[in-house]
Amino acid sequence: MGLVKGKAVGCTNKSDPIEQQNCEELAAALEDSDATVRRHAAQKITSCLNAATALVSRLKREENTAVREAILNSLLRLHDPSIASGLAECLRSEDAALRNDVIEAFKQLGDEVAPILRSLLADPDPDVRIFVINILNSERHPDVEQWLIEVIERDAHVNVCATAVDLLCEVGTEASIDPLHRLKARFGHEAYIQFAANLALKRIREI
Amino acid sequence: MMDGPVVNEGVIAKRILIVDDAATVRMYHRGILESAGYAVDEAMNGIEALEKTLEAPFDLYVVDVNMPKLNGYGFLSELRQQEIPQQPAIMVSTEAAPGDEAAAYRAGANGYLIKPVQPTQLLAYTRLMLGEAIR
Repeated sequence: MGLVKGKAVGCTNKSDPIEQQNCEELAAALEDSDATVRRHAAQKITSCLNAATALVSRLKREENTAVREAILNSLLRLHDPSIASGLAECLRSEDAALRNDVIEAFKQLGDEVAPILRSLLADPDPDVRIFVINILNSERHPDVEQWLIEVIERDAHVNVCATAVDLLCEVGTEASIDPLHRLKARFGHEAYIQFAANLALKRIREI
Repeated sequence: MMDGPVVNEGVIAKRILIVDDAATVRMYHRGILESAGYAVDEAMNGIEALEKTLEAPFDLYVVDVNMPKLNGYGFLSELRQQEIPQQPAIMVSTEAAPGDEAAAYRAGANGYLIKPVQPTQLLAYTRLMLGEAIR
């Protein structure tokens, strides 16, 4: 992957500009067999145009914990909303540790990724929808309750609804009361849904 | 928070640690297990679970997969490397793919349940893992 020096997004070292050749070397170093080389490359590549693409590409395959951490730190330093779609792809990974790391990274991205998160609530993969609700747990977007209501009204997957109810226990208001009752009726045979919905209703009434 | 061993009719209750980042899930599992007479403690992630285990190992672990800081696989892998009496662990996951269950057993789980867990299912697995008669 050829990288060229880009506009510094968030972390430029202007006294030591990174030239195109260096960017190409750093991109190559991200694929080095030595984890230390990959980690250093991940830390330095942030001033290069397309750094996000290179970092996300490596992240999907990176198994070394320290390198993965360096990549995620660098991605967060870019302050580039476009990395969200790349990170979202990692939510589909078979690697549970990577998924967890990406969920934690999403939680640090803030409001700018809210539209992407909302669109992922309609993802065909129920596990991705569950991960997104876990991310919303830390999201302070004003529409989160409405999104969760839409989930418990429409989503057919019991664990997606269960995860949404867990969060409604914390953020639910009177607007969630009728949808929670309808959810209980829809999953009348699921003990956990009954328990969690009753808990959410109790907490809402205590507000 | 569990204060100490629960003694019921002269028998010390078996101690179970629930490891899950979702408070509602911990409350649900705790209610099921405590109603059956077990002494239950909770941890929000694998790190907290390891700390509690190294203070006083449990008789059984009920462990979620996806948690921050240290996930269920990581916790079980660490647990199985500790020089402490090794006790059974049930992994509880939203993920039903065959690879997930295999990964749980590779990490050191002795049983695998898919959420949402029915109370009878959790109690049956618990009694099985603890070598008790299934009622």
